[in-house]
Amino acid sequence: MRALEPWVVQPLETFLAESAARLTLLMTASGQVVAQHGFSRSLDVMSAAALGAGIVASTEELARLMGASRFEALVHHGQRQSCMLAAFATPRGRWIGLVVFGPETSVGIVRLFFDQMVQQLAAVAPREQPQPPMLAENFETELNASLKALFGR
Amino acid sequence: MTATQTALDRVTRVAGVRGALVVDAADGLVVAEQLMDGVDGQAAAALAGSLVGRLVRTAESAGLRPPAFVHLRGDAGSVLAAPGPDELVLVAVVGPDANLGLARLEMIGAAGRLA
Amino acid sequence: MADDIRALTTRLADEPGSLAFLELAEALRRRGQLEAAYKVARGGISRYPGLADAHDVMARVLNDQGDLAGAFDAWSSALQLDPMRASALKGVAFLYFRAGDKAAAFDQLQRAHEVDPDDPSILQAIARMGAELRADAAAPPPVETAAAPFQPAPAAESSVRRPPGLFHDVEGGERGLLLVDANGLRLGGSLSGADGSEVGDQVAAQLAGVSREAARATRLLGLGSWHSIAVESPDGHLVLTQPTADTILLAARDPSLPMGRVELLAERAARAARTWLEAQA
Repeated sequence: MRALEPWVVQPLETFLAESAARLTLLMTASGQVVAQHGFSRSLDVMSAAALGAGIVASTEELARLMGASRFEALVHHGQRQSCMLAAFATPRGRWIGLVVFGPETSVGIVRLFFDQMVQQLAAVAPREQPQPPMLAENFETELNASLKALFGR
Repeated sequence: MTATQTALDRVTRVAGVRGALVVDAADGLVVAEQLMDGVDGQAAAALAGSLVGRLVRTAESAGLRPPAFVHLRGDAGSVLAAPGPDELVLVAVVGPDANLGLARLEMIGAAGRLA
Repeated sequence: MADDIRALTTRLADEPGSLAFLELAEALRRRGQLEAAYKVARGGISRYPGLADAHDVMARVLNDQGDLAGAFDAWSSALQLDPMRASALKGVAFLYFRAGDKAAAFDQLQRAHEVDPDDPSILQAIARMGAELRADAAAPPPVETAAAPFQPAPAAESSVRRPPGLFHDVEGGERGLLLVDANGLRLGGSLSGADGSEVGDQVAAQLAGVSREAARATRLLGLGSWHSIAVESPDGHLVLTQPTADTILLAARDPSLPMGRVELLAERAARAARTWLEAQA
């Protein structure tokens, strides 16, 4: 199990121990990986993250068209493995969890402990420092610096 | 009233029963429930479904047919489970003062009629 | 008393479904009319199989008739329906005492005392039993005596290897009893499958997971720590308990044995397991 941020480790380890999940990926809504367990290749991690984020985005758009609130979770049942995708709020923004599990556990168990992990993440996430208000002259300076970096001016 | 609702009604009328639910044991998800405040249906369904599944496998390894009734006793109450057809399980969460004998009889009778 | 019996008999004849059978059976028993008492209690149980009072009065009738095994079954049924029934706990304690198992009798009396702390007869019995147990502990080993007339649940001989002393004083020996460690490895006992083959190791492997599931379920549902799991199958009754934090015990018996009796057997086996484990440490 690997995590980019140390505060994710404990809640994720607890989830893995209780749920018996085979693969788990936590990512931001834009598909940036935050933590993973069970994947052996970085290419698979990146592909899964991108696909997972895309599926969640499509599903949320579908819900919007139906006039429904966001779906809590999406579960695909397979013959040998099943997959759950769930988006959730954290103090660091909206994240997505992708969990692959087998018949040794159940979707009920996975959801139960996934929800607990979400609560724990919310409790332990470091709070962002509030950004100081941007002054007009600072903004002008920042913008000029960015343009210089992007276009070599 | 469906057989499921009837089953839940009969079980929840027994003294000391804090809640009853019908669970899909394979998924650990709630099919129907009648719960008092303080009973977490999602947790009861997932945990009872998982435990019953384990006990079915234990019984099989001992050469026994699947259980007709399970009673998990804790310090502060019990979980009762009566498997029915199609992987449905009737589950009850009861307090320490519950009339266990009557709950058991109601659950075994009702579980066979779940649909 | 004869007038009471006549009145109760008339009432029961007029209303066969009434609970008058309880008083009538008890009144007949006290008059020594045990056959009649048995018939009345039997009829009442067939109408009210879930009524602990019915099984309690039947147990008293059977006890008076000398059918101690039947009395044990009936009191066990009463306790299964009503675990807080002091009269049934006292009855079972008396039967254990008659069978020579003073430790088990003492345990049952203590449970009865917890249920009914104001009953002076229970306190007297506890004091007497405690004194006898202390005297037994101080005395030299007794000379072998004739077997007690009542031995709860004798079972088939075990033909599988056994660690010496683990379940040697539990009725039926080690057959149908398994002691398993936290990793699902068998520490002792044996279990036969439907075809007679030894299945103890396969079952032991499942039990570690069961223990973890049970602990998790009771914890997350606010039910505290788990004590036991009773499993009724058409082919057998299983009871699981935790003799220690790191072990689990399975007691398996034929479905003809009431579950309450299997639970009592499991408690005895758990005590034997604790003693054995302490000796191994």
